[in-house]
Amino acid sequence: MSLAGYEFEVQRDDGLATEEMTLNMGPQHPSTHGVLRFVVKADGEIMRTALPDIGYLHRSIEKISEKVGYHGFMPYTDRVDYVSAMQCNQGWAMVCERAAGIEVPRRGEFCRVIACELGRIASHLLSVGTMVMDIGGMTPFTHAIREREKVNNLLEDLCGARLTFNYMRIGGVAWDLPPGYTEQVTAFLDQFEPLIDEYNDLISYNKIYVERLANVAAVSKEEAINYNLVGPNLRGCGFQYDVRRDEPYSIYPELDFEVPVGTGEVGTLGDCFDRYMVRIKELKESCKIVRQCLEMIPDGPVLARVAKKLKPPVGDAHVRVEASRGDMGWYVVSDGSEFPYRTKIRTGSFSAMSIVDKLSRGLMIADLIALIASLDVVAPEVDR
Amino acid sequence: MASSIGQYLKHAKDAAATIFEGMSVTMSHFVRKPYTIQYPDRTAVRVQDTLPLRYRGILEVDLEICTGCLACERACPIDCIVIDAPKDKVTRAMLLSRFDIDIAKCMYCGLCSEVCPTGSIHHTTEFEGADYSLESMIRRFVKDPVLAYKAKKGEETDPLIAPILDRGMEFLAEWAEPVDMKKYKKDQEEAAS
Repeated sequence: MSLAGYEFEVQRDDGLATEEMTLNMGPQHPSTHGVLRFVVKADGEIMRTALPDIGYLHRSIEKISEKVGYHGFMPYTDRVDYVSAMQCNQGWAMVCERAAGIEVPRRGEFCRVIACELGRIASHLLSVGTMVMDIGGMTPFTHAIREREKVNNLLEDLCGARLTFNYMRIGGVAWDLPPGYTEQVTAFLDQFEPLIDEYNDLISYNKIYVERLANVAAVSKEEAINYNLVGPNLRGCGFQYDVRRDEPYSIYPELDFEVPVGTGEVGTLGDCFDRYMVRIKELKESCKIVRQCLEMIPDGPVLARVAKKLKPPVGDAHVRVEASRGDMGWYVVSDGSEFPYRTKIRTGSFSAMSIVDKLSRGLMIADLIALIASLDVVAPEVDR
Repeated sequence: MASSIGQYLKHAKDAAATIFEGMSVTMSHFVRKPYTIQYPDRTAVRVQDTLPLRYRGILEVDLEICTGCLACERACPIDCIVIDAPKDKVTRAMLLSRFDIDIAKCMYCGLCSEVCPTGSIHHTTEFEGADYSLESMIRRFVKDPVLAYKAKKGEETDPLIAPILDRGMEFLAEWAEPVDMKKYKKDQEEAAS
């Protein structure tokens, strides 16, 4: 990649000659959360630029959709963001339903939301766990992963897979809740919610951890909007925006939940700690949503009958879903055939990459790790 | 100077205090039940036997109840299923001469078993599929060409096939039944009025 325009001269007052150093972080660096490369230009420990070099995980998922048709593309959407595949499933199902004018049974919508929120819990647990591990704490990671494993078991009972769920179908979901599922999920939530506080005791308010993250890479509200940050990264700056609440879809308008925002409780508003804390708070909100859904879920069918060869009318459709990494946009153009003419997926991690260069100027190299971890970037979602 | 030393000591004190708080959580795990299991040799039952019926493991085909309808081959988004079902020239019956599944390609999405009318192709709970060559990853289910299954009116009476069909129906029952939404809504309204 070209670094033209990013060269800099190092001048020191004492006349000692120094040189800028180009350092490659990645593509196989364990802290970049996937195959992601940063070209760092540094003066000693201080970074001047850190340019993300993306594209190592590009699998042309959008192009594949033009070859496999509407139903066949569903398993591929799992691979867009494999850490929280449920919301990607929902995005594709919703955009096809909007394009073809299909109605989803009410119980199906509830099944979707339960699955999505369980997926969000799993994703945020992995996010906060790996963030602590990147900073240097090994134990909290095992605590987070242990709880995530229980969520994975629940999702395995629901749809038979632990990561690439392929749970949703155009017109509903493929499996109804298994017998006794409500009790299982409630039992999990009962034992999980106290563990969030325990997790806070263990690491979130640890002095060393707080000092490591407070005031690092603070983003202001205006910057966040200009650079198109979405999801927990945007809310970490104190801007209360959530697609589930502000552009409601599915059954979210009927549910009662808060949208947590960063408060700058230990340092500047919008620093790494705020972004981390928003995710911890969202865990609780997701638990709340799942509980409400389990209470409200009606009886009835979960899947509407849809043509095997779905041919939406000529036109296009766009939906937005609140994925774990923020606002995920799905756009599909139909030319009336059984294959989409064009599909476009816009993800939160991709737009988060654009602000890395801006934030990294003047940071220590070690803080880049904290920055990437707090943005919760997942490499396959960047490239798709 | 004095204030900065005080600040430094306060930080050190805070750090020590919060570390002890965290350590108390860690210590409390000594008296909790362990959550880890010793895979694969020290589990009480085989892991495969603990998995739900919906688990999407390696695909398996019951040739006895395969109707040769090719629905699975058409549904597969990566074409990992290859079926040859020619008609016998003399008897005009459908023969199954080839049913291959490349499990190296298979992404375990379940779209094939969802469309199967008899539950012939289904996922097992088997997941340990490592092997030394790509060739051995192709599961060839047809040894000698066999006649395709023909659905009968009423109950299946063949004592050899009936239990296999029952098992296939068990797999099918896991999937959600699609409903016609217009008809469903009409029925709901009628029931309400």
